[in-house]
Amino acid sequence: MANGNLGIEPEVLKAIYGQMTRIRAVDKAIQAGLSAGKFMFTYWPMTGQECIPATISQLTSERDYMVTTYRGIHDQVAKGVDLFGMFAEALGRQDGVNKGKGGSPHISDPSSGSMVTTAIVGAGAPIANGLAISAKERGEDRVTIVNFGDGATSIGAVHEAMNLAGAWKLPVIFMCQNNQWGEYTPIPDYTASPNFYGRAEALGFRGVQLDGNDPAAFYNGMKDVIDHVRAGKGPVFVEAMTYRMGPHAGVGDNYNADKDVLAAARERAPIEKTRALLIEAGICSDDELTALETATAAEVEDAITRAMASPVTPATETVIDVFADVTCVPQRGVYPERADEGALPADTKSMSMVEAIRDAQHIAMTKNPEVFILGEDVGDPQGGVFGTNKGLQTEFGKNRVRPTPIAEQAIIGAAIGSSIAGMNPIAEIMFTDFFGVCMDQVYNHAAKQRYMSGSATHAPMTIRVQAGGGMGGFGAQHSQSMEAWLLHSPGIKVVYPSNPIDAKGLLASCIADPDPCVMIESMMLLFTQKADVPTGDYRVPLGVAKVVREGTDITLISYGWMLHQALAAAEELAKEGISAEVIDLRSLMPIDYHRVLASVKKTGRALVVHAAVEFCGLGSEICATINEELWGQLKAPASRLGAEYAPIAYSQAIEFSQVPGAAAITARARATVKS
Amino acid sequence: MSTVLTIPKLEMSMSEGTLAEWMVESGTAVQQGEVIYLLETNKAAREIEAPVAGTLIIKAADGETYPCGTEIGEIV
Repeated sequence: MANGNLGIEPEVLKAIYGQMTRIRAVDKAIQAGLSAGKFMFTYWPMTGQECIPATISQLTSERDYMVTTYRGIHDQVAKGVDLFGMFAEALGRQDGVNKGKGGSPHISDPSSGSMVTTAIVGAGAPIANGLAISAKERGEDRVTIVNFGDGATSIGAVHEAMNLAGAWKLPVIFMCQNNQWGEYTPIPDYTASPNFYGRAEALGFRGVQLDGNDPAAFYNGMKDVIDHVRAGKGPVFVEAMTYRMGPHAGVGDNYNADKDVLAAARERAPIEKTRALLIEAGICSDDELTALETATAAEVEDAITRAMASPVTPATETVIDVFADVTCVPQRGVYPERADEGALPADTKSMSMVEAIRDAQHIAMTKNPEVFILGEDVGDPQGGVFGTNKGLQTEFGKNRVRPTPIAEQAIIGAAIGSSIAGMNPIAEIMFTDFFGVCMDQVYNHAAKQRYMSGSATHAPMTIRVQAGGGMGGFGAQHSQSMEAWLLHSPGIKVVYPSNPIDAKGLLASCIADPDPCVMIESMMLLFTQKADVPTGDYRVPLGVAKVVREGTDITLISYGWMLHQALAAAEELAKEGISAEVIDLRSLMPIDYHRVLASVKKTGRALVVHAAVEFCGLGSEICATINEELWGQLKAPASRLGAEYAPIAYSQAIEFSQVPGAAAITARARATVKS
Repeated sequence: MSTVLTIPKLEMSMSEGTLAEWMVESGTAVQQGEVIYLLETNKAAREIEAPVAGTLIIKAADGETYPCGTEIGEIV
């Protein structure tokens, strides 16, 4: 065959084969090592899919972003992740690209452009959108390619991400490596779709199906796709047809596949076919290719040998990389004293919490062009369901205040991706109850990215949510207090202001913080109270509680709306001659145990109050710490008071009794003091 | 340098494997990639290849089930 008939430059074909050879060598070395018992880790083989990333590597550079999945070793190799660092990571060693904290399913290597690797099927797609937003907003010509298997097309995150990318014309490529299997279940057992690229067309953007096993055809098809996306013409969904020769997990053949089907797939597998083509076309000799393969195998062996000599990442690393600052991690017996905000700017204006939140966002957006807001209905004229963004879209434009589809996974994913690229997004998802539909993005991705990547990447984003419960009329799915969920997900900071001044200062701190933060806003407080809020830029530091009423007999500890119930209770108790000190936690993570313990040491009694369900709530945690730390100095055991264990009822008679009010707090505090 | 052979962990759910049959006698020279024993798991039977070339030394009898990680031989 003459070179002219190849449909691809000989040097490019040779380079693609070179990458396929590297992938094959890595795949073989892993399978051999696992089979021999040389090392043990879970492996999700991609044997048969080598051509796809090998070809993409010839059309992209390290400037282009990649997101991939646990079955993505081939993607990592072709993207240029250092083999030594990759093997060391897979083995949980110190020299891993992510310090051995993420392992092969969570590679994050910004130097090669491999930004995020997820082990949650389909979850990378919303994050890829965020990376693409950053490139678009910064005027960079990077493309973001998110790899996933055909099985991922069934999950909602992919649909949400595709819809958002289409709506916003993002420079992202949805690379569906259709290997015919969703884990152990084949097409058509899990879908009646005749294809997957058609779904992009249904969402109003381009979808193409390419032969992912034919380097020339795939190269030419992808060149057109990448040019299209780089030119700013919007996203493309690529269905790259291939076949997974191995099992879902483990080594060897895909034992679920019919033997004849597997044999036929082997005939179409890309590596041997490309090798034969290079020889047939006179581009390379057999000897030349054998030498290349030998040298590549040696490169891989060398990487493995060095990786196995790297020390296992020690347990002393456990709490490092949870947050940027290790002192934010709650640890038994370690209660750092953090400086408070000091004197605030003197100029003030009367503001509600809504106005204070808007002001904080306005200041942050004015100072930093990388701060932007996204969420449902955040644009003008309404400026968000509660009006916290009113006027901001008019002032800063549609790219910096982005109303989204009703798709919380897409919202949070876009915030994660753009923050990983260094932006400072503020994602608003309205009611805390909606964490239920995006919790994977919050606790598996935003919270863990720093840790899983050994701080190679992190997500400095802010999530704003509103919480009900206790005001009536919203029912069980719009009234919950979900802070305990968040607090049980290491890596997320949580603030919960009780007044407009703190709301503004805490939000300013969250936006500037290097870690993902959630600010929970009590619906009951958004409009009902005004305060003289400093007009300038100021911060209320995270992890600093505040004594808002001094007392000597008992410490009432609370936050948000319930703080006001605690203050009302303190007033009642005073009438009875009981002097209650009231502490506003303000930050729940990091938590200020220093000030809490100092107060309880003084009063000898403590009651923690929250609107969240009492069972397994933050109150239990704080009480346990107080009881353990101050045992012997207490006049009564620390106690907690939260909502009864039930969903919030629509009946106001139930709702107003199930969430503690001032009377219930007073009664419990009285009993504690008199016990 | 010898290469230790252990019962591999080939599946997330695998905790033990049955060394069904050694395909090569102890003391024989083997080539890298040559099938040296048959491993049965709860999913399937697998032919396990020699990870390196050398002389196979068998240290565990076939027909027995061993936990993953058990040393069954080495290639020297």
